[in-house]
Amino acid sequence: MYGAGVAFQPTSSAGGSSKEKKRRDEDDEEEEDDNEGKGTDAWERAYADERSWEDLQEDESGLLRPIDTKTLVHAQYRKRLLLRSSTGGSVASRIQKGLIRYFYIVIDLSRAASETDYRPSRMAVVAKQAEAFIREFFDQNPLSHVGLVTMKDGLAHRLTEIGGSPEAQIKALMGKLECCGEASLQNALELVHGYLSQIPSYGHREVLILSSALTTCDPGDVMETVQRCKRAKIRCSVIGLSAEVFICKHLCEETGGTYTVALNESHFKELLLEHAPPPPAIAEYAAANLIKMGFPQRGAEGVVSICSCHKEAKVGGGYTCPRCKVRVCELPTECRTCGLTLVSSPHLARSYHHLFPVAPFDEVSPHGRPGQRLPTTCFGCQQSFVGQGGAQPSLRTSCPKCNQFFCIDCDIYIHESLHNCPGCESQHNSSV
Amino acid sequence: MKLEVEGLTVYFPYESIYPEQVEYMRELKRALDAGGHVLLEMPTGTGKTAALLSLIVSYSIHKNFKFKLLYCTRTVHEMEKTLAELRLLASHLPTPTSLLALGLSSRKNLCVNPHVLSAQSRDSVDAACRRLTASWVRSLAHDNPQVPTCPFFESYDRAASAGPDALLLPPGVYTLGDLRSFGRSKGWCPYFLARQMIRYANVVVYSYQYLLDPKVATIISKEMQKECVVVFDEAHNIDNVCIEALSVSIRKQTLEARLKATDAGRLRAEYNRLVDGLAQRGNLAITDAWLGNPALPDDILKEAVPGNIRRAEHFLSVLRRLVQYLKSRLLTEKVETENPVNFCAAINSQAGIDQKMLKFCYDRLHSLMLTLEITNTDEFMHIQTVCDFATLVSTYARGFSIIIEPYDERMPTIPDPVLQLSCHDASLAIKPVFDRFQSVIITSGTLSPIDLYPRLLNFSPVISRSFTMSLTRDCICPMVLTRGSDQLPVSTKFDMRSDPGVVRNYGRLLLEMVAAVPDGIVCFFVSYSYMDGIVNSWNEMGILQFSHASIENSTFPMVMLQLATKDVMQHKLVFIETQDVVETTLALDNYRKACDCGRGAVFFSVARGKVAEGIDFDRHYGRLVIMFGVPFQYTLSRILLARLQYLRETFQIKEGDFLTFDALRQAAQCVGRVIRSKADYGMMIFADKRYSRHDKRSKLPGWILSHLHDAHLNLSTDMALHIAREFLRRMAQPYDKTGCGSKKTLLSEEDVMKMSEGAMDTY
Repeated sequence: MYGAGVAFQPTSSAGGSSKEKKRRDEDDEEEEDDNEGKGTDAWERAYADERSWEDLQEDESGLLRPIDTKTLVHAQYRKRLLLRSSTGGSVASRIQKGLIRYFYIVIDLSRAASETDYRPSRMAVVAKQAEAFIREFFDQNPLSHVGLVTMKDGLAHRLTEIGGSPEAQIKALMGKLECCGEASLQNALELVHGYLSQIPSYGHREVLILSSALTTCDPGDVMETVQRCKRAKIRCSVIGLSAEVFICKHLCEETGGTYTVALNESHFKELLLEHAPPPPAIAEYAAANLIKMGFPQRGAEGVVSICSCHKEAKVGGGYTCPRCKVRVCELPTECRTCGLTLVSSPHLARSYHHLFPVAPFDEVSPHGRPGQRLPTTCFGCQQSFVGQGGAQPSLRTSCPKCNQFFCIDCDIYIHESLHNCPGCESQHNSSV
Repeated sequence: MKLEVEGLTVYFPYESIYPEQVEYMRELKRALDAGGHVLLEMPTGTGKTAALLSLIVSYSIHKNFKFKLLYCTRTVHEMEKTLAELRLLASHLPTPTSLLALGLSSRKNLCVNPHVLSAQSRDSVDAACRRLTASWVRSLAHDNPQVPTCPFFESYDRAASAGPDALLLPPGVYTLGDLRSFGRSKGWCPYFLARQMIRYANVVVYSYQYLLDPKVATIISKEMQKECVVVFDEAHNIDNVCIEALSVSIRKQTLEARLKATDAGRLRAEYNRLVDGLAQRGNLAITDAWLGNPALPDDILKEAVPGNIRRAEHFLSVLRRLVQYLKSRLLTEKVETENPVNFCAAINSQAGIDQKMLKFCYDRLHSLMLTLEITNTDEFMHIQTVCDFATLVSTYARGFSIIIEPYDERMPTIPDPVLQLSCHDASLAIKPVFDRFQSVIITSGTLSPIDLYPRLLNFSPVISRSFTMSLTRDCICPMVLTRGSDQLPVSTKFDMRSDPGVVRNYGRLLLEMVAAVPDGIVCFFVSYSYMDGIVNSWNEMGILQFSHASIENSTFPMVMLQLATKDVMQHKLVFIETQDVVETTLALDNYRKACDCGRGAVFFSVARGKVAEGIDFDRHYGRLVIMFGVPFQYTLSRILLARLQYLRETFQIKEGDFLTFDALRQAAQCVGRVIRSKADYGMMIFADKRYSRHDKRSKLPGWILSHLHDAHLNLSTDMALHIAREFLRRMAQPYDKTGCGSKKTLLSEEDVMKMSEGAMDTY
């Protein structure tokens, strides 16, 4: 059910970049895999647990019909959207969001991660989804930084330094996949706390723990560490793979994070991706402060210069810090020499939509209010609302600002990918 | 919120109410109207106490406080919880009502005098208090200021002597802690204050013993008028409490200790009689005070103390002869069972003490001790035991038997003679309560099968009902596991329990579960000896691996088995309940710590033990409880056999029925430990093939049965593991607490209004 929710694909040809599409295709495949996995152990389940009759419903004439999964998916999407807008604040009362995030992902590689209740193993699933997550994360938070930490043998180990490049992180993760020993929550938190307490105060400190283990073997009192994280304003979230663990719940409640437990792989993916959009800023940080940033120029091709991040001579590419003229390889980053935050303007622009989200559209009943004539086509894709052969008219929504009507597919596309309402934008243009 | 229950305005301390609470109140209201006894079963975690208190208090407001509520709990902890609930309720009552509610407990829990409190046990606290507050001590102190007295009692007494009105607790709800701090601030003794105030209180919360045990009931409960409503909470074991209240066991040590004490007593007796010759007068005065005793039958009260034990030295010689006789009986080589009538006759012929003299032993001793101004009562405990025995054996001709066992059944080589007077008839102790009070409410989370209780306690309830729990989600998951992964059946039946296959399968079950269940797991075994045995075998098989230090410690019971590197220990720490209370408390503390800090822990415990009865394993402290086997009583015990025979002859209850009922009630009690509220969730595994049989299973309480799906009735270990994993994932998802649509589980004020209107319409 959850898988279907994510795997939905917009019908409009304009919908989704190729990358987006690819991801969704992958997802479809995964879902098939998942179903196969379920098929093999179906004999283990009692028939009662399958609840196949719940997929049926009775229509007006008393015939049994399978429930229209598409409507369900749409309903779920609407629910999620409204939920998000209600928690994230409506357009009228904009709330601050932490756009500059220093984000550590803690991956549990303890013995429990080798269990095979996720196929092929929990560890493989976590790694695969973490990869997708890191890409999505940088897509949505170009100003942010990610680091990886692993837990195994009762120790926590920093896999990668916190940085702004997805590729380096993913490469480091894929090279280190083996699991043994116990997990230690305290060691991981202490490690992350040590690193995160150094970052500048405007940055949002976050930890996401992908936990397979149900126990943690700690050298000392983990409660103290939780309190230290709380004092250091590190927002800790946990996604569990098997069951609810008290200490994780406690950690998340104390530090303002979220605690979720995955039901299956697609649900896990969904939960993971919920962490990609920036969270609301913590009240203490809500006081706006100005951050000095540099917008470096891209160096000319073929110029040899000494790179400050790798400490070696490099040819071509790279950016030059506007203040101290040092060369850095990639953006966003912090200048090694003068400590200036270096970004490019598209990064800023891409973070912008989190602050000004498109308002959720109002649902419109297919028959409309009496005395009001509804347009028959979607404003976005120009497809007719009325299906062929007099089928039920599909769900439609309208933008509260420009009052244009959209089909549900375009609605999803606008809110998930485009972040601009075509109706409002075109209105704006015509008036100018 | 306020709601209407059949015309009665009920004040409820919460904003919303569960539907079963409304139902519960309705039944209760009807019972109160009818003025009869009630038996109500409602699962734990559904706010039974809140519903009960709000209805009865509202009812009594309605009747202008005509009657008192006597609320009996099993433990001090429960008493505190009840009073806290009551306080919340009091803050929601309409303003002009003056509700006075207080808890009453022993001196140990109420005393504020630091010298007295330094004593260890309950008895020594009592004695220390008496040393300071007894009337003769105080009169002595009056003349001689060197004699220590209790300043709190003195000022209490001064206040009390100023008139009954001078000494009043302002209306309100007083927990034991409140009473103590009130006493401290005023300088009054909280214990005596509380005992004084129960006369005026509207609600009194105290322990079962204060009503059921005839010895205590005489002192505390004699002033309660007929219109009282008596509530026994958590009353699933009430028959056992009743029986214990009337059973006495005498060991060799008891008799020996007694002789010494008597000698000392005799010396002082002679001395005292010479000094003021008070014996006779004190005796008569005290006998008067016994009238109004609720628990002893009237005949014993109406009769005067027979002349031949009126004089102290005669009485003492009677006692000495009695002890000699009992001692000679204890020398026996074989097990003897006798009924009280024969026993009394034997005493009469061999020791020359007739039944009537025996009957008055208890009272006579009491008055003697008062006369002798004995304050260190704890040293006289053993004589009191013997006198209790004498009184009981001569008072009741039926429902008792005397069993003399020269050695413990399990250790025949060690002579440990014990003479037990065991009561078989639970109705004897509770009968006065039923007779005396207008409404007695017996309620608990597990009273199934509900029709057996009226027969055991010999009363006819006007209403007996079992409620189920309305749940937003299926938060309990009972399973019956009948076989291991290798499909061999598992059971603790006597002929199977030591089979290595069964032991291994139980071990595998535990092993699989510790890897799949987070935080705390509780395991219950059928007995200490079985637990020791199976844990030893697991250890040998390598399922549990202990560090060397603990294996060398061959006595085995240990507070905490330190973590080692294999199997169960890899996932969770293991803690074991032992017969030692301090050790067990320590183990429990550490268990909780291990659950809190995420290490996870398993607690091995015994059905019918202290842990199974009184300790909650709610939330993460108990995500899973495994009941290894069916906890039948030790069926070769003479006492049990005698009781079974009595039950069959008197109440026509079959042995098998009673044993199964008792075992299943224990099992339900054990597994019920994990779920204490609706927001909680937990799994229960009944690991024995006998649970799948209908006659066993059907005796489980309804709220467990309703969640026991047919698909979960005959599981093997791997299937159970699969279900457990699914269940835990499902439960970890966020959910809507109020429920929705027709499955509404949390009602607001309007909902209740609507519901009652709806009910009107249907009638």
